[in-house]
Amino acid sequence: MTKKYFFKYKGRQVKLLFSFLIAGLFLSWAAPAISQPQTLTVIRNQNGPPGTLKFSELRSILKGEKQRWNSGAKVTIALMKTTTPIGKSTAEVIYNMSGDALLKFCLGLSYQGNVHAPKFFNTTSELEDYVAQNPGAIGVIDQPLANNDIKIISIDGKSQFNL
Amino acid sequence: MKNSILRITLLVGLLPGLKSYAQNTQIRGFSAASANYSDKKISFGFSEQDVLITSDLTDRLSFLGETVFRFDDHSEGTKFGVEVERVIMKYNIRGNHNILFGKHHTPINYWNDTYHHGKLFYPTIDRPLLFIANVIPLHTTGLALQGHDLGKLKFGYDVMVGNGLGSSEIEDNDKNKSLTIAAHIKPAENLRIGASYYYDIISKGAAVHYHQDDQERHEDRAIDWKTVQNIFSASTAYFGNKFEFLGECTLAVNRTDTTCYQHTFGYYVYAGYKINNKVTPYMRVDDVHFQDGEIFYIKDNRSAFTTGVNYQINYLANIKMEYQYMYSEVTGNRNRISAQIAVGF
Repeated sequence: MTKKYFFKYKGRQVKLLFSFLIAGLFLSWAAPAISQPQTLTVIRNQNGPPGTLKFSELRSILKGEKQRWNSGAKVTIALMKTTTPIGKSTAEVIYNMSGDALLKFCLGLSYQGNVHAPKFFNTTSELEDYVAQNPGAIGVIDQPLANNDIKIISIDGKSQFNL
Repeated sequence: MKNSILRITLLVGLLPGLKSYAQNTQIRGFSAASANYSDKKISFGFSEQDVLITSDLTDRLSFLGETVFRFDDHSEGTKFGVEVERVIMKYNIRGNHNILFGKHHTPINYWNDTYHHGKLFYPTIDRPLLFIANVIPLHTTGLALQGHDLGKLKFGYDVMVGNGLGSSEIEDNDKNKSLTIAAHIKPAENLRIGASYYYDIISKGAAVHYHQDDQERHEDRAIDWKTVQNIFSASTAYFGNKFEFLGECTLAVNRTDTTCYQHTFGYYVYAGYKINNKVTPYMRVDDVHFQDGEIFYIKDNRSAFTTGVNYQINYLANIKMEYQYMYSEVTGNRNRISAQIAVGF
């Protein structure tokens, strides 16, 4: 019964898929240019985030895939605005996205009910203050300023990276 | 005078508290306007306006509300209706495990759970025919357990118990509960593979909410037969920096006392290729086939081929232009050229 049902309209499906494949032949163009990334440093609040992470773990966390640290503190993400050089590099190096694509990705997280989408800042001092004041916060800047309330997370054993 | 100073002092003292409640509340909106040429006629229109509110209430409890304003033929006066699409209270139990209570997008497939009313996120102008043909239950009011990104495969799950089709937003119309079980994995970057099962018993006489057509018109339709519904769905989604792919299929098996088992099968396949960060040409193939004798759904075998271009103005706006050929068992062939600007704000 089921087999008969599936083959009944096979002809129409084949035509549809054929037209789909033909149209696919027209789709082949050049790759986008990516600007030179700058050195990045990952900082953390003293309460919650670990002192070391693998790069793959960092990317996963910054993409909103981890809600809580092992300590139980809520993961909060702080990024520089994608219009700044640091924010643009963060998008390209860590997220492997353009700045606009990152913002749309974050908007999508909110739409899907993930209210813990990253917070964006204009200056590194604002970002550092936010990370210092919020347990579980993690952020990305170029190099840390003199703030005793934040720590650096080493990524794959390095305190700074740019891939 | 002293009383006034005391009141002002108290008010000022309370303000920081009020601010702390409001600081994590975000209000977002989505809308789209379109023009299309079909049957030797150009039509302009806009589909709906979607208001999304999210808020962190405590360290573990959050709220999401989504309300849509849309054209409604049956509405008095302005011809616009208001529909609450989602009201979700989410409590984080532990790690990536959550319990959700309220009205949800049924987590039955990728498109329904990821895009739904956010036309800004749609890779094409309209939803796939699977939605327009009312094959899948779009919303469920009930309780859900949800987990995501667990283990190396980034396993995710949803188990949802709800009132089921025919129920109102405030009470169940019968004793039967719908059950949705969904699971997915993300074995590689930007790749998500999922499957789901939905079960419901729809009572005789239940009024089921359904879409009339692809112009987002909605209506309730009374079901004349008690129907046992089993829906199986599978999806694969890949949205990389260059290539985009989304394929989903659904097999719905409806059983009534008079027609026994009736099968409905539908699928769509979307593919796009990003020329650069702005321009993505795409295509989509849709097909929905109802078995002869189907009485729960409105039987109208349909298939469509869609091709177009998506131009990203920025992350809050895009323009899509597309051509669609659609075959409908009821209305025949249709060729349509459409343009749409979708925005978020």
